[in-house]
Amino acid sequence: MSYLTDNREDMQHLLMGNEAIARGALEAGVNVASGYPGTPSSEIIESLAKVAKERNLYVEWSANEKVAMEVAAAASFAKLRSLCAMKQVGVNVASDFLLHLGLCGTRGGMVLVTCDDPGALSSTNEGPSRHYAQMFEIPLLEPGDFQEAKDMTKWAFELSEAIKSVVMVRSVTRVSHASGNVRLGALAETERHAEFRYDGSPLSADEGPAESVPVGQKHRLQQEKLQMATQLFEESPFNTYQGPEKPELLIITASAGNLYTREAISLLGAEDRVGLLKLGTTWPLPSRLLKRYLAATDKIMFVEEVLPFLEENVKILAAEKAREVGVKTFYGKNEGTMPKTGELNPDIIVSALCKILKIDYLTIDPDYEQKLQMPPIAGVPERARTFCPGCPHRASFWSIHNALQMDNRRGFVCGDIGCYAMGRFPCGFNTTKTLHAMGSGAGLASGFGKLAQFGMNQPVLAVCGDSTFFHAAIPALVNAVHHNSNITLVVLDNSGTAMTGFQPHPGLTINAMGDEAQEIDITKVCEAIGAKVETRDPFDLEETQTTLNRLIEDGQGVKVLILRQECALSPEKKHTKQYDMQIDENLCLGEDCGCNRLCTRIFQCPGLVWDKEKNKARIDEVLCVGCGVCSLICPAGAIERKEVA
Amino acid sequence: MGGIPLSKDPYNLIITGVGGQGNVMASRVLSNMLVRKGYYVTIGETFGASQRGGPVMSHIRVSAQSAWSPQIPRGRADIVVSLEPIEAIRILKSYGNPNVKVLTNTRPIHPVGVISGELDYPSVEAIKVSIRKLSSIVWFIDATEEAMKLGNPILGNIIMIGAVFGTGELPVGRETFKEVISESLSEDRLDINLKAFDMGASLIA
Amino acid sequence: MGGKDKIRGQEELQRVVLNRNLCTGCGACINLCPYFKSYRGNTTILFPCTLVQGRCFAYCPKVEVDLDDLSQKFFGRPYNCDPLGPYQTIMISRAGKKIKRAGFQAGGTVSAIIYFALRKGYVDGAVLTDRDGLLPVPRFVTNPEDVFTCVSSKYSAAPTLSALNQGIRDGFKQIGIVATPCQVLATVLMRSNPLEDLNFVDPTGLVVGLFCTWALDFRGFEGYLSERIDTERIAKIDIPPPPAEAMEVYMEKEENMEIPLDEIRQLVPDGCSYCIDMTAEFSDISVGALEGYPDMNTLIIRTERGRKIVHEARKEGYLIVSDIPKVNLEHLKWAAGNKKRRALTKVKQERIVNTLEEDKASYLRLNTATLEGITA
Repeated sequence: MSYLTDNREDMQHLLMGNEAIARGALEAGVNVASGYPGTPSSEIIESLAKVAKERNLYVEWSANEKVAMEVAAAASFAKLRSLCAMKQVGVNVASDFLLHLGLCGTRGGMVLVTCDDPGALSSTNEGPSRHYAQMFEIPLLEPGDFQEAKDMTKWAFELSEAIKSVVMVRSVTRVSHASGNVRLGALAETERHAEFRYDGSPLSADEGPAESVPVGQKHRLQQEKLQMATQLFEESPFNTYQGPEKPELLIITASAGNLYTREAISLLGAEDRVGLLKLGTTWPLPSRLLKRYLAATDKIMFVEEVLPFLEENVKILAAEKAREVGVKTFYGKNEGTMPKTGELNPDIIVSALCKILKIDYLTIDPDYEQKLQMPPIAGVPERARTFCPGCPHRASFWSIHNALQMDNRRGFVCGDIGCYAMGRFPCGFNTTKTLHAMGSGAGLASGFGKLAQFGMNQPVLAVCGDSTFFHAAIPALVNAVHHNSNITLVVLDNSGTAMTGFQPHPGLTINAMGDEAQEIDITKVCEAIGAKVETRDPFDLEETQTTLNRLIEDGQGVKVLILRQECALSPEKKHTKQYDMQIDENLCLGEDCGCNRLCTRIFQCPGLVWDKEKNKARIDEVLCVGCGVCSLICPAGAIERKEVA
Repeated sequence: MGGIPLSKDPYNLIITGVGGQGNVMASRVLSNMLVRKGYYVTIGETFGASQRGGPVMSHIRVSAQSAWSPQIPRGRADIVVSLEPIEAIRILKSYGNPNVKVLTNTRPIHPVGVISGELDYPSVEAIKVSIRKLSSIVWFIDATEEAMKLGNPILGNIIMIGAVFGTGELPVGRETFKEVISESLSEDRLDINLKAFDMGASLIA
Repeated sequence: MGGKDKIRGQEELQRVVLNRNLCTGCGACINLCPYFKSYRGNTTILFPCTLVQGRCFAYCPKVEVDLDDLSQKFFGRPYNCDPLGPYQTIMISRAGKKIKRAGFQAGGTVSAIIYFALRKGYVDGAVLTDRDGLLPVPRFVTNPEDVFTCVSSKYSAAPTLSALNQGIRDGFKQIGIVATPCQVLATVLMRSNPLEDLNFVDPTGLVVGLFCTWALDFRGFEGYLSERIDTERIAKIDIPPPPAEAMEVYMEKEENMEIPLDEIRQLVPDGCSYCIDMTAEFSDISVGALEGYPDMNTLIIRTERGRKIVHEARKEGYLIVSDIPKVNLEHLKWAAGNKKRRALTKVKQERIVNTLEEDKASYLRLNTATLEGITA
C-alpha cells in the first residue's frame, strides 16, 4: 500500500525524506500545497499531487516560488492548512513576500519547506536559506533524520497555528533524497472550511485584513511570537542529547550533520568522550537548554552545512552568557576545523575529531591505497554529464553555436537554469557564456543589447526553457522590448520542466494533479509583449541555423526564436523511436581528413560510439533513441536513418 | 526491530551505475525487501542532474540495531553491486577495502570523454584484473546481455538483485522480492521480473 | 623544396593564415570537411580539427606555396621574372556570333569559352560565380545555358572553390573553373597532389583565370554601399582602367553611382596586399579587360589544353580573336610587374618567404635569383 494513504496502525515504511515530509503534512491534515520544481525538493509536491483527489487536496506547481508562497498564504488566510516547498534558491525568489508574511502572520497553519543543496550537487550555488528565518524572524526547524522529517512537519503546522506565524522547515539533499525507516502516524480526518475574514481590527490576527502594516506594532507582535516559539523549543523532543554528562567535547549539530556525527563517533569508539547535542529547533535558539550543555564542557564543536549559521548564533549566546557558562574553545568553520564550503560526510568529521581528541584512525589500508594509484585504476575515465540521447538541446546548441561561428563577430549566448544549463559544456559545444539564476540569461542579454553606443558590436543571444520562461524571463523580455535592446532570445521549448523530473508548467494543458489546465501560448505572450517571434523544430538543423543567422543579422530590437521539440524523457516520447539508425561502414570516413570523427568527437551523443578497432563509428542500440539528428551532420552521409513503421 | 543478525552490522552495500540504468529502482526494491525483514535501512542517493549520463550511486546501510548515516564512510563498503564495470572501480577507489566483495555487470557504457576520443576506456580484461586486485571475491555477470535476451535491457537491474540474493550476502529471497515488486507492478509485468530475478540468481552458481 | 613534410593541419592554418588576416576567402578549404565554412564573405572554423596534416593547409594559397615546384610540374621550368607568367600567346578577343549578348562585363570571352566547353564536352561541369544581391555565390553549372546567369564581374571575393570541392565529391571528372589568381593558385596546388595520394587523378578540364588587382571584403563593401543605395537593385559594377579613379555602380532603375577608389581601398582585405599574381599565372587561359576597348578582352593562352579549346571555339564561331596592340601589352606587363614587385617586397620584409625554421611556416617559396630579380 502506498505510504501516502496507508492508515494502518503502527506501519513502517522505507521513506525518502521528501516522502516523509509529504506524509507528515497529510497527518497534519494539509489542504493546499504549492511549489516550483527544484532539486532536492520536487518529490514533496509530486507526492501530495498523487493523492490530491483521494485526500481532497489542492496541489499546484506554481509559475514560480513567490507565487507558490502567495498561493499557500492565501489558503492559510482562509483558515486552511497549507504547505509550500522549494529548493534553497526558491526562497530567494519568494523572499520579498516572505518578509511581509512574517510581519503579517498566518491563520491556518502554514509551513515553508526549503531543501538546500550543500555541495551544489544539482545547483549553480550552495547558497543559504536558514538565515531567512533569522532575518525575517520566523521559527526554523531542521529534521535530523527521516522520522523527524515526518514528525517535525506535522508538528510545524501545530506550532504555526499556536503562534500564528509561518514556520520554516529546512532540509538538505542528504535528508530529502536519502531514505530510511519511518513509523507512520494516523492520517488526519479534520474537515476545514475556507473563509477569509477581513472586517476586524487591523491588529486582529484572525479577523482583520491580512497586512504587514502598521509595521511598528506588527513587528513587535512578531517578536512576541518568536518568544513564544522559544519557550516551546526549550522542551521540544526534537532537541536531543547523547553522551556523558560531562563530555570532553560537545558537538552541536543539526540536519544531516546528525547522522554523520553519530557515525563518526561510533567509528572512533568515542561515545564516552563526546557528547552530541542535536538541535531540531535552530531559530530562535533555546537559550536555557543551550546554557546547560555549554556549561558542561570547555570544548565545543559545530557540525553544519554550509555557512556557520548555528555556530555564530551559539557563539553570540555564549558571549552573552559568558559569566554563567564560562570561557570556551570553539571548533568550527571560523577557526578552520570544519570546511566552509561543500557538503559534509562522516570522514570529514572523523578527521576533525581525530585532531581534537588526538585519536589515530586508519581510513584505508596502506597496501590497498598503493593499489589504487596504479593504472588503469588510477586513470579510470571520468564520466561527465551530458545531454540524453535524443535531447533537443544538443541539436539547438549545434545550430546556435554554428550560426554564431559563421556570423564571425564574437557573438555569445547568455545561459539559464535547466538541463540546457549544460550548454556551457562540450556536450553543448561550450555555447553559453554566462550562468546565474532563473531568468538571468534574458536579463543579462537585455543589458548587453544596449551597449552599442559604447562600441559593442557582438551579437547577443540568450536561451531559456519553457518553464523558465514563465518563471522569470517574462519581465526581462518586457524590459528588452520596451528599451529596444538588440537581442535574440531562443526559447528552448521541450514541453516540460525536464531537469527536475518533467513536471508540468503553465505552457501545458495539464496540471500537477493531472487535471486539464489552461495552456498559455508562449508565442502569443512574446508577440503581445512586442517581440518578433518565429518557431522552428530544432531537429531541422539547416532551417534552424538559417533562421538564426537571419535573426542575428537583424540589428533591430528583440527577436524571439522558439525551438520546439519534445524532451527525450517526456512520457509521450520515452519509449518510442522515430528512426532506426545504422552506420554504413563503407562510407564512414572516421579519422580521415574530411571528417576527423565529427559525430563522436564533437557531436558526442551517447548513442554514437567510436569503435577503435574498426576505426569506424557505431550506433549503441541500447542508448540510441532514434531521433535521427546525427544523420544530418555526417559529412559522408554514412549515418542512415529509416523511419520506423 | 530485529531481523536475523547480519554478517556485519551495519552492512554497507553500494549500488552503482550510470544514470538511466535503473540504479535507483534497484536500491529501492532491495531496501524494501530488507525493511520487510525487519531491518533498519538507510539509503543515500543523488539524482536529478546526475541522471544526465553521469554516475549514480546508492549507499545502503542495513542494520538490526539502528539507523546510520546515508553516506558510507571511506573504505567501508562490504559489497559493491555495479551495473557498469568502471563504475565499480570508481566506487572501490573511495569505498573499497581488502575484504570488499564485488558483483558487477560487464557491459561498458562509454563516458562522453571516451566517445569523443579524449579518454581511454580500459579493456574488459584490465577491468577484471583491477577489480580482482581490489576485492576479496568478485562475480562478473553479463546482466545486460541476459536482459536483452529477456526482451528489455532495463531488466538488467532486476537481474542484479537476483544475483545479490544468489551471493548469499543478504538474508532476503525470492518470496520477499515477489512481495515487494507486486506492490508497484501490474500482474502482467510480474512474470518477466521474476524471470529476471531467477536468471540473476542462477548466474551466481 | 618543402614537399609533403611542410604540410600541417587546421590548427596551424588558423594560426598563420586566418589569425594573421592573410585569408582572401578563395574557398579552397571549404566543402572538404565539416569544419570550414564561408558565410557572407568570411571564412570561419566551426570546430577544431585535431589532424596533424590536412587538405585545407595543403590547398591554401596563402601558406607553403612552392612556386618553383608548381612551375616545374605544370610548365617544366622554375618560377622566373616574367611579369605575366608563362604563356604561349596573348591576344585580344570577344564572344563570337554563336553567343547571344547577355550583359557581359566586357567582351564576354569567359562566358563564350565556358559555354563552348560545356556544350562540346570538354568539361562535364563548370565552377562559376553568381550573385545574390551584392553577395557573390559559387555555382556549379552543368547546363550550358546557365552559364549566362553568372556573367559580370564581382568585386568582392567569393569562396568559389567550395563549388569545385563539392563537384569533385559529386563525382565530376573534367571540371571547368573560372577563378581569380588566388583561386587558380589553390587549384593548381590541389592538382599537384601535395599529399601524394596514390589514387589521385586531376579532376579539372579547364582552368580559366581572371585578371585581378585586388578584391573587396564583402561585409565591408556591403556595409559601405547599403548606407548609400539599395544593394538589391545593382545591375553591374565596374572599375574602368586608369586614369579612371572611381568605381562605377550601375543601378537598375535609380541613378548610377560613382565611388572614389580612395574610399574603396580601405575595404580591400590584407591578404590581397600579399598577392603577387595579377594575371592568374597558373591557369590554362587567363582573361581580363582591354584598356581603351570596353567591348573586348585580353586573352592569355598558357597551356596546350587551353590552346586547343580556344582554337576550336574560334573555328566554330563562338569566339573572335585578334592581335593585341603593342601599347596594351606593354602596359599590362608594367601593371602586372608592379603588383608582383610590391607584394614580393612586402613578403620579403615580413620574412614569410623561404623560411628555414622548423616551426615557422612560409607563405611562399621560390628560387633566390627570381626573388631578388623581381624585388631589385
